[in-house]
Amino acid sequence: MPNEYDVIVIGAGTGGYVAAIRAAQLGLTVAVVEKQQALGGTCLLWGCIPTKALLEHAHALKVVEHAKEWGISIGEAAVTINMSQVQDRKNRIVSGLTKGIEYLFKKNKIEWIKGTARLTGNGGIDVFEGSTQTLRARKEIIVATGSAPRGVPGIEVDHKRIITSDEAVHLKEVPKSLVIMGSGAVGVEFASIFRRFGSDVTIIELLPRLVPVEDEAVSAELEKSFRKQGIVSHTGAKVTGAKVDGDGVDVDVQLADGTAQRIRADYLLVATGRGPVTAGLNAEGVGLVLEKGYVKVDAEYRTSVSGISAVGDVITLGAPGHPQLAHVSSAEGIVAAERIAGRDTRPLNYDQVPGCTYCDPEIGSVGLTEREAKERGFDVRVGAFPFGVLGRAKISGETEGFVKIVANKAHDELLGIHMIGSRSTELVAEATVALRLESTVEELIRTIHAHPTMAEAIGEAAHATHGAAIHS
Amino acid sequence: MAIDVVMPQMGESIAEGTIVRWMKKVGDPVDRDEPLFEISTDKVDAEIPSPSAGVVAEIRAQVGETVPVNSVVAVIAGAGESVMAAPPRLSPTVAATPKTSREVAPAAGAVSRATENLARERSSPLVRQIAAEHHVDISLVQGTGIGGRVTRHDIMAFLEQHRGDTASSQPEPPAVVRGAEDRVEKMSVMRKKIAEHMVFSRRTSAHVHSVFEVNFSRLTAIRAAKKAEYEAQGTKLTYLSFIVKAAADALQAFPLLNASVEDDNIVYHKDVNIGVAVALDWGLIVPVIRNADRLDLLALSRAISDLAANARAKRLRPEDVSGGTFTITNPGALGALFGMPIINQPQVAILDVGSIEKRPAVVNDAVSACPTGFMALAFDHRIVDGAVADQFMSRVKQSLENWDEKQA
Repeated sequence: MPNEYDVIVIGAGTGGYVAAIRAAQLGLTVAVVEKQQALGGTCLLWGCIPTKALLEHAHALKVVEHAKEWGISIGEAAVTINMSQVQDRKNRIVSGLTKGIEYLFKKNKIEWIKGTARLTGNGGIDVFEGSTQTLRARKEIIVATGSAPRGVPGIEVDHKRIITSDEAVHLKEVPKSLVIMGSGAVGVEFASIFRRFGSDVTIIELLPRLVPVEDEAVSAELEKSFRKQGIVSHTGAKVTGAKVDGDGVDVDVQLADGTAQRIRADYLLVATGRGPVTAGLNAEGVGLVLEKGYVKVDAEYRTSVSGISAVGDVITLGAPGHPQLAHVSSAEGIVAAERIAGRDTRPLNYDQVPGCTYCDPEIGSVGLTEREAKERGFDVRVGAFPFGVLGRAKISGETEGFVKIVANKAHDELLGIHMIGSRSTELVAEATVALRLESTVEELIRTIHAHPTMAEAIGEAAHATHGAAIHS
Repeated sequence: MAIDVVMPQMGESIAEGTIVRWMKKVGDPVDRDEPLFEISTDKVDAEIPSPSAGVVAEIRAQVGETVPVNSVVAVIAGAGESVMAAPPRLSPTVAATPKTSREVAPAAGAVSRATENLARERSSPLVRQIAAEHHVDISLVQGTGIGGRVTRHDIMAFLEQHRGDTASSQPEPPAVVRGAEDRVEKMSVMRKKIAEHMVFSRRTSAHVHSVFEVNFSRLTAIRAAKKAEYEAQGTKLTYLSFIVKAAADALQAFPLLNASVEDDNIVYHKDVNIGVAVALDWGLIVPVIRNADRLDLLALSRAISDLAANARAKRLRPEDVSGGTFTITNPGALGALFGMPIINQPQVAILDVGSIEKRPAVVNDAVSACPTGFMALAFDHRIVDGAVADQFMSRVKQSLENWDEKQA
């Protein structure tokens, strides 16, 4: 007799574990199959949390390095960072959070079944972990198997010298030199971490600018800041080959102007994107339609097979590019669970997903970029305001960056807010609420922004969109 | 224990209700289920019974105020504690406040302000901006957001739907010249809704009318024969009972008349729910006989008289006035030869019954005085063509003129 549950979730990442909790809250019996030794998936074990922990260390180091400016004496010895202590602190944070999910599972009577799941059809799942265990979902299976770093053809990841973020986050040493392939969030965050720790960092980006999904002005600002920090960025450049040789790797690069260059580094970090994880799942065996390996779902996360839903990094909605972000996965998990429990649900608006990149300076953005807004035919007007003018920015010594607003001239409609600079990843929350509630630029102008805060830049950028900011 | 009395949810789509009358005042004792106040909503006017026995300790919503459903309009204190609880709540300031505010602004003004605020709460800055630019009354836009909120998508769809209207830039209606002796009265909620629904229907459906003459000789005889039998069972056998029965049967034969239009789709309703228009002193309401096709003549007669009585006594429940798939209106009762009715949206047809009286009729090549009546069908030519409508009417006529006595 198989063990039966109303809902069985495959994968305990942010999509899976949140879906499980929501389903349990709504009165369903739930089991979660997870093959890792801890709950939390990519976000907790390799992604969001550990990388942000490292970035916080980098920030602490930055403050200490500038101790003299703050009038703080720390003796004459050079400031150094102890990587094994860094890793210990990071691991403590991660394990505290994964234990937190275990507690939530217990509280909501969710069963964690350890092992690798294989779909067998008609609500059935086999779980392999030593012996085989057979489960059956009475109502629905939710596939939340997530994603894993994806390499590129011709560059063989050996996980030792040619590595992905999975290895980079666990590095026990500060590399002398590091080449990073790709300048999405993962690439630029590791660039900031290791540059601050003391590595020579070179970024190779195929597209003409860093952080290509962001507004062009944001990319330009980041490039300028990286240059000042000594991070070398080659945009429009291609890695043509990489060969591990002893304690390093030789990376062949074709630069934008066509010249070839060989860069020797301790590590090559391949950060060119993430692909879906469906290995061993028997997805096609039970009839799931896949598109480029991603599980195809509708706006309520139903797959092509009745009784199977999917959420998170493993899915595609058919439209170009589904954001692989923890907060998107959990939002999808909630919608799927509520729909399965018979609640009314509303489709998510993917134009209103905040994006946070924790490089230094931080990037926070939500909504359409100026280019996207123009491509969609809006009569676009923009306004920007630099953080550097603000009292709060001067006080904290973080004067880089700006807030930029993209608006539709018709109806004064807010279309997007893009910011780069200290605390941008927090400030984006205001922008996200504003978009969600269909604010106009005028409403942002009339919103009282506390003084002195970095958030004043949002109000000022709104003023600038209407003509002129007060403080510029 | 004090019990909160809330504005009840009178049907799924109803978000607010207006207090029309309080039957009790603060300090009055009230029994459980005793009528406490009267409300008017989008769909129904109703008397609301007290949820518990006790003493009216507080009245929070004054006559004329429009409040969202589930908001507390009064508080009933338990009988035991009433003596203790009531006096402090009856402080003169509390009692005086509504009075003075009524003097400052007339009750009618309060209604429109409250409604305006509700509409404002249920939209967004962007929607209000778009509405202002396009002169759209947001309260006319169906909101699909959380809590019925009108979203950007909703108002853009509304504008798209009404693009024709604004493009033709309708002329402003001529200004009303008010004479010194003229009396101005605010429309009731029901009046406003009827006005909106009628204009909306005219704009939505392609109305066509078709008129048939029906000879009621046979039914007159059957009715006379059965009258006493029905009266003995406590109800009246009227021509309307026969007509509802005949229409229900014909709707099954021609389901297109029992349908609705939804975008590009025709929705054929499985249930035959016939609304019968009831004139009230204060307006008009259409209670619905559910599954009319499954009821025999006796049950139909009872349903018709019960619903009419409840409508006049303001005792209709929300479900009594929703879900209609076809409507019958009976202006003949007031002497009309026949009318040219407006379709009750989202239905596609309405049957109008004219006065039934003796008129010269040709029977077997001889003119004789027969009880006859005219019946007019208004149908929506978007989906119903004349041939189908007339076949439907022929069937109704046939069954009325050749009534199978076993049915009665």
